[in-house]
Amino acid sequence: MTRALVLWACVALSGLANAKTVPDATGRQITVPASVQRVYAAGPPASLLVYTLAPGKLLGWTRALRPDEAAFFPARYAKLPELGRLTGRGGGANLEVLLDARPDLIVDVGSTAATYVSLAERVQAQTGIPYALFDGRLEALPATLRTLGRMLGEQSRARRPADYVERQLAEVRRRVAQVPEAARPRVYYGRGPAGLQTGGRGSINVEVLQFLGARNVAAEARGGLVAAPLEQVLLWDPQVILTSYAEFWNSVWDDPRWRAVSAVRERRVYLSPHLPFGWFDFPPGVNRLLGLWWAGKLLYPDAFRGIDVRAKAREFYRLFYHRAPDARQLDALLDEPGVLPR
Amino acid sequence: MRSHAAAYALAVAALAALILVAFSVGRYPVSVGQLATLVLDKLGGTRPLAPMIATVVLEIRGPRVLAAVLVGASLAAAGTAYQGMFRNPLVSPDILGVSTGAALGAVLAIFLSLGVFAIQGFAFAGGLAAVALIYWIGSRLRGHDPLLALVLTGVVIGALLGSAIALLKYLADPYNQLPAITFWLLGSLASIAPRDLEVAAPLALLGLAPMLLLRWRMNLLALPDDEARALGVDTRLLRALVVAAATLMTAASVAIAGIIGWVGLLVPHAARLLVGPDFGRLLPLAMLIGAAFLLAVDTLCRTIAPIEIPPGVLTAVLGTPFFLWLFAVSRRRW
Amino acid sequence: MLEVDALAFGFPGRTIGRDVSFALSRGEVMCVLGPNGGGKTTLFRTLLGLLPPHGGAVRLDGGVLARLPRAEVARRVGYVPQAHAGYFAFAVREMVLMGRTAHLGAFAVPGTRDREVADRALASLGIAHLAARPFTEISGGERQLALIARALAQEPALLVMDEPTASLDFGNQVRVLGRIRELAAAGIAVLFSTHDPDHAFLCADRALLLAEGSALEIGTPQEVIRPDTLEHLYHVSVRIVAAGDGLHTCLPDIARP
Repeated sequence: MTRALVLWACVALSGLANAKTVPDATGRQITVPASVQRVYAAGPPASLLVYTLAPGKLLGWTRALRPDEAAFFPARYAKLPELGRLTGRGGGANLEVLLDARPDLIVDVGSTAATYVSLAERVQAQTGIPYALFDGRLEALPATLRTLGRMLGEQSRARRPADYVERQLAEVRRRVAQVPEAARPRVYYGRGPAGLQTGGRGSINVEVLQFLGARNVAAEARGGLVAAPLEQVLLWDPQVILTSYAEFWNSVWDDPRWRAVSAVRERRVYLSPHLPFGWFDFPPGVNRLLGLWWAGKLLYPDAFRGIDVRAKAREFYRLFYHRAPDARQLDALLDEPGVLPR
Repeated sequence: MRSHAAAYALAVAALAALILVAFSVGRYPVSVGQLATLVLDKLGGTRPLAPMIATVVLEIRGPRVLAAVLVGASLAAAGTAYQGMFRNPLVSPDILGVSTGAALGAVLAIFLSLGVFAIQGFAFAGGLAAVALIYWIGSRLRGHDPLLALVLTGVVIGALLGSAIALLKYLADPYNQLPAITFWLLGSLASIAPRDLEVAAPLALLGLAPMLLLRWRMNLLALPDDEARALGVDTRLLRALVVAAATLMTAASVAIAGIIGWVGLLVPHAARLLVGPDFGRLLPLAMLIGAAFLLAVDTLCRTIAPIEIPPGVLTAVLGTPFFLWLFAVSRRRW
Repeated sequence: MLEVDALAFGFPGRTIGRDVSFALSRGEVMCVLGPNGGGKTTLFRTLLGLLPPHGGAVRLDGGVLARLPRAEVARRVGYVPQAHAGYFAFAVREMVLMGRTAHLGAFAVPGTRDREVADRALASLGIAHLAARPFTEISGGERQLALIARALAQEPALLVMDEPTASLDFGNQVRVLGRIRELAAAGIAVLFSTHDPDHAFLCADRALLLAEGSALEIGTPQEVIRPDTLEHLYHVSVRIVAAGDGLHTCLPDIARP
């Protein structure tokens, strides 16, 4: 309690000296020091964006990077400490850990619903540290990047990634618009080791599909993650199956129950790349931008002709992860069975 | 005696009818005509005309129906055995921690990102290990009523296992592993494959055999320990066998279907209200009712909505009023 | 049939009785008298093989009890506990059938002969009409008789009865005591415990007075049930009155002793 008061006083004092106020995505006015040096990311999507704009200011990852993930980052940033998460399912970072890290700012990227606003308010009141909330949806990313850049004092560095995302999204929209409704295949996204969980309409897990205007067979179910009986999947008879689970991808070919599904018959079952962060589903951050190209090419091969996924990946990784992957890494990423059509 | 025969006949008829219904309904529309054609094709050895129908009925619905029957019967049998052994009608198959142990095994496997077969294997092993541990500790506690020692040990160790599960849930990746864990813990017959039955059925039968063979002696477990021993029963050995048998049946069920509650608790009651406590009469009826009950519940779970409803929810919602009604109209005591 | 040789008995870690010796033949009735906490139940449990002896030996027809398998003991010794309500509503006949377990194989189910033995046991006690009634719904006295029937179904040579008349009304007490004599006449050895010295007078051939774990006296009821021994056991003043025909009865002095 005393520590919080002292910290609050320090922040207030330094704030009086040199502060600026920037509104976050919910309209809350966030008062930060003119020069923000230490940023605590509340969840993985936030840590990615902060890392992109100002890797030196990120205090740590929410979960320590595994060796295969760390290989995609410059060594000095890969080794940042693990700090835990503040929000989302399974949230519960120790507030003392938070205070001990002495951040100037807490950044959270994701839902801006009332629950999360109240959580932000509570943490801010308890710790005295400004807590900024940003919209994590794909289409909101350019604005998020720019506002976050202002808050961190990195406007110039934010320009390139924000413009890049804007261009990519516009390009995807343009190509998707060329595809008539009838030519869009039925898609099923299978989660879990048995592939029997999926995202319903509006679920964040299938945001990429929604952006691509794809026909998610599970759209008749509303809400987040749902369990689908296998019979129902057979009834939907998807023409394309996407998954992030290697066990499911491996098992679907020998499983007699899936054999009759169109997607399996035509061998249009694909596994999304997952390093360093998944391209399609989780974590629900900017890492999914590549998923738009990957899935778009799989669903609408004609409209997405000429898109070099490899080149897109190299460019994205360089811009956002600050390290262009070498040829070997790209091979490992894209040549994994199931990622691309044979 | 007359009412007993009627109860059996009713249960068999209900189960048969439910099996027929379960085969004919589902999200994927299969008409009775198509069903009949399929059966004839299979019997005649010809290839089925519609491969999709064959897949739905033979690979998905069939195994699922059989699994519901197997799991329902196993849980009911285990519950019946335990209620007799613990002389307490409020006992469920999980009293010695088999479900919690299996849950821990499965959660650990999901946490380690293992495949479906490994998850089932871990669940089965976890269930057996938990009961073995609890039984071993409980039987070492001298100077107490042996049953009370078992129950208390089960409660304590079960709580410990539960906290381990909570810890794993906390450490799990919230986007990836945690939802899978949550779904598993809710229990479901949705992903039953024929191979699951090939493994689980023999295990369940292995557990059922001693119960059937010892059905007369099991009645004596309802007596105070001294009396049973004075009548010539080795109560320690018999209890150990009952625990082993019930655990095999329950662990096999939980491994393929996750945790489905209420069946093991309510069904033995219902059966006892109909035919009395003699284990030889009670066990077959409890198994029939358990199979029918779970089959009815599962059929509802997979047909009501495009998404799956956890069977544990429906078993509670349907089972409780049914049981209350049965209790109200019956004149017997336990 | 039963030989008890310098028996010491008690719980694990605590010996509460020593140096008890007696023998009981078929057709004999022995009554064990003693105050609460005197060790009657523990002695009985040791004689039934439910507790290991702490010293000395118990022999059944010459064979050491501790070395006999459980089922063998159950074929020779029938245990009649105090009647209790029971947890599950078995029918009386099913309850009595449980007595046949010792004669059945491990996986066997009672057969026709077993049912006949059970029915005969019920009939011999005059409760055949209760065969189909749930055990939990009959009276205390009827339950006691049913438990005796169950022990009889074991076709034992020795019956051990722990306070068989406790919580029975006067009429049922008399009936149970009468049955004990009939059983003895049929050649079964009977060992029973009671709080009422008159019961010893009424149906026992010998009495054992048990206080603080040791056998005070063993002998015929007339020999051992005297005002001084009763004073020692129960700390009350009692007169023994002869009632003619060789019968005796106790008359306690309820004025300040």
